[in-house]
Amino acid sequence: MIPIEYWLVFSSLLFVVGAYGVLTRRNAIVVLMCIEIMLNAANVNLVMFSSYHSALHISVDPSGQAFALFSIAIAAAEVAVGLAIILSVYRRYQTVDVDKINILRW
Amino acid sequence: MMPKRTLWWEDGAVYAIGGALGAMGLSFLVVWDVLMGNTLTDGSQRFEWLVVGDFSLTFGIWIDELTALMLVVVSVVGTLVVFYSGGYMHGEGETRRRYYAEICLFISVMYGLVIADNYLLMFIFWELVGLCSYLLIGFWYERPSAASAAKRAFIVTRVGDIMFMAGIIILFKYVGSLDFAELFHGTGTSAVPTDMMVLSTALIFGGAIGKSAQFPLHEWLPDAMEGPTTVSALIHAATMVKAGVYLTARSYPLLVQAPESLVFVACIGGITALVAATAALAQNDIKRVLAYSTISQLGYMTLGLGAGGYLVIHADTAAGYSAATFHLMNHAFFKALLFLCAGSVIHAVGTNDMRLMGGLGKVMKVTSLTMLIGSLAIAGVPPLSGFWSKDEVLAAVWHAGDFDPVFFVLWLMGMATAFLTAFYMFRMWFMTFAGQPRSAYHAHESPRIMTVPLMVLAGLAIGSGFALFIGEGFESFMAGSIHGLLHGAEHGSLADLAVGIFTDPLTYLTLALAVGGILLAWKVYYVPGFDRSVFAKGVNGRLQRALENRWYISKFYDDLAVKVVYALSLVADAFDRHVIDGIVNGFAYLGGNTGNLIRRLQNGNVQRYTGLIVVGICLLLILVLYVIPWGGW
Amino acid sequence: MLEGIPVLSLVILLPLIGAFVTLGLGRHGKHARVVALAFSAAALVLSLLVTYEFATDPTSEATGYHNGYQFYEEYEWIETLGVSYIVGIDGISLPLFVLTTLLCMLSVLFSWDTEKRPKEYFGLMLILEVGVLGVFVSLDYFMFYVFWEVVLIPMYFLIGIWGGPRKDYAAIKFFIYTHVASLALLIAIMAMYFEAGLQTFSMEAIAAESVGFARAMQVAIFAAMFFGFGVKLPMVPFHTWLPDAHVEAPTAGSVLLAGLLLKMGGYGIIRVAIPSLPDGASDLSVLMAVMGVVSIVYGAMVCLAQKDLKKMVAYSSISHMGFVLLGYATLSEVGVVAGVFQMFAHGLVTAVLFMMCGVVQHKCGTRMIPLLGGLAKRMPIAATLMTVGFLASLGLPGLVSFAAEFMVLYATFDKWALWVLVPISAVAITAAYYLWALQRSVFGPMTDKIDTSHLKDMDWYEYVPVGVLVALIAVFGVFPGLVFSRIDSAVEIILRLFGGG
Repeated sequence: MIPIEYWLVFSSLLFVVGAYGVLTRRNAIVVLMCIEIMLNAANVNLVMFSSYHSALHISVDPSGQAFALFSIAIAAAEVAVGLAIILSVYRRYQTVDVDKINILRW
Repeated sequence: MMPKRTLWWEDGAVYAIGGALGAMGLSFLVVWDVLMGNTLTDGSQRFEWLVVGDFSLTFGIWIDELTALMLVVVSVVGTLVVFYSGGYMHGEGETRRRYYAEICLFISVMYGLVIADNYLLMFIFWELVGLCSYLLIGFWYERPSAASAAKRAFIVTRVGDIMFMAGIIILFKYVGSLDFAELFHGTGTSAVPTDMMVLSTALIFGGAIGKSAQFPLHEWLPDAMEGPTTVSALIHAATMVKAGVYLTARSYPLLVQAPESLVFVACIGGITALVAATAALAQNDIKRVLAYSTISQLGYMTLGLGAGGYLVIHADTAAGYSAATFHLMNHAFFKALLFLCAGSVIHAVGTNDMRLMGGLGKVMKVTSLTMLIGSLAIAGVPPLSGFWSKDEVLAAVWHAGDFDPVFFVLWLMGMATAFLTAFYMFRMWFMTFAGQPRSAYHAHESPRIMTVPLMVLAGLAIGSGFALFIGEGFESFMAGSIHGLLHGAEHGSLADLAVGIFTDPLTYLTLALAVGGILLAWKVYYVPGFDRSVFAKGVNGRLQRALENRWYISKFYDDLAVKVVYALSLVADAFDRHVIDGIVNGFAYLGGNTGNLIRRLQNGNVQRYTGLIVVGICLLLILVLYVIPWGGW
Repeated sequence: MLEGIPVLSLVILLPLIGAFVTLGLGRHGKHARVVALAFSAAALVLSLLVTYEFATDPTSEATGYHNGYQFYEEYEWIETLGVSYIVGIDGISLPLFVLTTLLCMLSVLFSWDTEKRPKEYFGLMLILEVGVLGVFVSLDYFMFYVFWEVVLIPMYFLIGIWGGPRKDYAAIKFFIYTHVASLALLIAIMAMYFEAGLQTFSMEAIAAESVGFARAMQVAIFAAMFFGFGVKLPMVPFHTWLPDAHVEAPTAGSVLLAGLLLKMGGYGIIRVAIPSLPDGASDLSVLMAVMGVVSIVYGAMVCLAQKDLKKMVAYSSISHMGFVLLGYATLSEVGVVAGVFQMFAHGLVTAVLFMMCGVVQHKCGTRMIPLLGGLAKRMPIAATLMTVGFLASLGLPGLVSFAAEFMVLYATFDKWALWVLVPISAVAITAAYYLWALQRSVFGPMTDKIDTSHLKDMDWYEYVPVGVLVALIAVFGVFPGLVFSRIDSAVEIILRLFGGG
């Protein structure tokens, strides 16, 4: 099998790419997409650990993959809510630029 | 204070007169009792005021010869003044009710003061008397000068009062009680260390300095002349100011244990007598002359008491004590007389200023004659009362000189004062009643209700001198009240006393001074042709102005109060507002600014927040994975 | 007669119920004052009953007697923390208890013509009353602290809504300053709780333990408590909240603030700090005395410079509470009893003074002394009452403050000899500033700087409260023994800890 380190590096890279996007992109929809990327990175991790665990031990433990399915479902819900919020914000402020929506400042 | 309809005549005067007469009757009964030898000095009939653990204060009544004397003075003068007020306050309208109420309050409080048997009770009445004085001086409160004078009187006497309070606190601590019965009998004060005894007696006398207007707390009395003349007569000549002398006399058993205090008492008395007499020389307001005269005579009494104390200690005689108290009684009568006469004059002429008077003798015969009697009495011309008592006081001071030379100096002061007294009193009389009128006034003699008290008092001024010879003699009467201090020296008979007075060369010296003063006044103020402008120039001029300004003492106090004390308070206020409050506000400012700084972190930018979260997590991870295992915690 | 009835709780509850009723009046807001008056009068009547039943020398037959306290009640409240609801009254709390109900009722009466939001005003006053009453009778630290803090909120609102020109500043300053002090108090309470290790907040239980704490511990806790109570007392230099709070508060607010809240500070010291921590107290007694004397003299000096009548009275309160502190510092029976009596006396006197300031402000439109003058002509009753009030405050014998001041000075001399001359000189300065203020504002010629054509004398709802208070001042001035005898026995118990007082 592919050494686990490769997967770990891969998921970390994916996570960091997502995080970078969240922190720097100005468009709120792009921020949501990057949040998805981060969630997927976590999913990759979950599946990978589950698979390697089953490979190394006799007993098959599907809980990681099951959990990854959970996570996908929740990510979908969260995106729905997030898009709904962005739509309301757009209607109110006519923009989705994150920097411009800062009335919660001091 | 009751509704107008019930007040009949003169708005309540009738009640005042009734009350005063009743009290006088009762006090005469008491005096008669004392004359028969019954006194109440054993501390019975007590009322418990407060008890805290071992500390208890109980009040009762104390009657002895000194009390009897004061009762006579207060009751007679008080009643006569109330009668007189019926006429004097005629034009005052509604405010008369307040006047009579306050006068009656004063008389009753004064009675309370003299029958108290405990220093604290006496102190309470002492302060209440001061309160009545405040209310009555400021009777015409719309006059700013009156309101100011009342305030000044209260504050100056308050300074004396706190000294009194300090003195009795000291006594209380060491003896555990303030009752006269305990303090005065034998071993009561043996627990007090000597220096504390001197201090406490000096402080108690400090109260007397304030209340009896002795130097240096004397300036309130001339200012107190802002009140109605009846008030001046009753309070500031005959009764309240005597309270200080009464206190000193009452404290004799304590004072004789502290001879340093006695010297202090005498010195203050002597200095006061002289300074006040000099100030009286240059006053143009008839009441102020009398005020300074009162201060001066009170100085005599104090001096007499101080010297008398020495005589009690060293010569075993009550001569000085009885002389001073005798002078107290006589002075009360003739000073009240003089003030009421002055009131009569002011009532008739409408002004206090003697420079606008003159020639009143033709129009106001009764007043003129009675005032003449009063002036002769105070100058010390025999056989009027002043002669006997002044003479006795000066003799006592001279004899005390045998035991401490300072008394000789004080005696000289006393003699000089006698001369000055005669001079300024007759200056006053001549300026007012003799010669030609110096301004246009419409004067008439006062109504009977005012002149009758004058005549009664004049009679007393003439006759009270002979109390020296009534019964067993005044001296042995008064000696009864300090019999515990005398060790049984025998008293000469009364004939010896009279002979003694008339063969003593000092008597004639005093008499010569008195007559000399009168003659000098006659020459300066009556006989035309004396150029009085000689007083206005050069050294004389400066002296004259100094006298007119009463040695600038009043100005000194005003400066002290205003510039020093008030300035300090302004500094304190500024300190409070800027420094202390500044620190408080500083804290608030600090808090606010720090808050300001920190809230800049909240810029509402979600991405910034997320970034901080990530950084935080990384730091935590590093901490947990590397730092802590490395530290071994 | 009152055996078995939880009277003290009833007295505390009555104003509370009254407050809710008043706040909930809705459209009938105009009647708020009547409702408030009724409830506070009921509380007053009950407290007078308590006084009547109170035994001067408590034995176990006294009503609800428990270990020196009478009318004792104890209920479990929060068991896991060891908090109980304990109330009891003894000679020290009794005068203050009655003072509270009395002043609250008179303040309600005095504020009869409040037009701005009367419901909230009277409701807040009643809540304040509850808080103060609770402080004076509670015997459990938790409860004590709760009631202590309860007092701050209504006062904040009273100042902040019905106050003068700088009310916002004054209200916030008052709240934060005293709250910080309360935090120090809380720390001290916590320290005692943990150190005693008994799992209970009951004052008696902790006191039994705390007298045995290590000396350093006692000094530290006492210092924290002293700061906490001292800010409320107030002592110099922690007093600057007082002038602003007083000047800006509405009249009844000032009366309650000066008459009651200040006494809470003094009460705390004598009830909590001194008996529980005797070693701490004796170590710091010189410090207490110094701060007392500084308060007396400094307060008097600053008074002299004031132009605002109310600010002058506020600073005079600082000066008089200094006497209380000085009395406590002597740690002798005479001194402590005198201190307690001075609290009672000052409560009465200061209420009169502030009410008179209110009258002056109401009628003349200003409190500035330079603008006033000659008021006695048009307002004789006011002038008389004001004069009596000022005379009482400066310690005229025959009126109530004299006995207290005299005994405090005596106790000071007893302990520290001639240092007593310092506070005594302040007595003269006190006379000076009061009489000067009187002379300039009430006596003298009628002022022309304000419009005086429509000046009338006091209204009935103004002179009845002041009249009652003045009468009490005179009565207790002549017969102080009535109060002293009750305070005495309680103080004796406390001072046994000091080896015979």
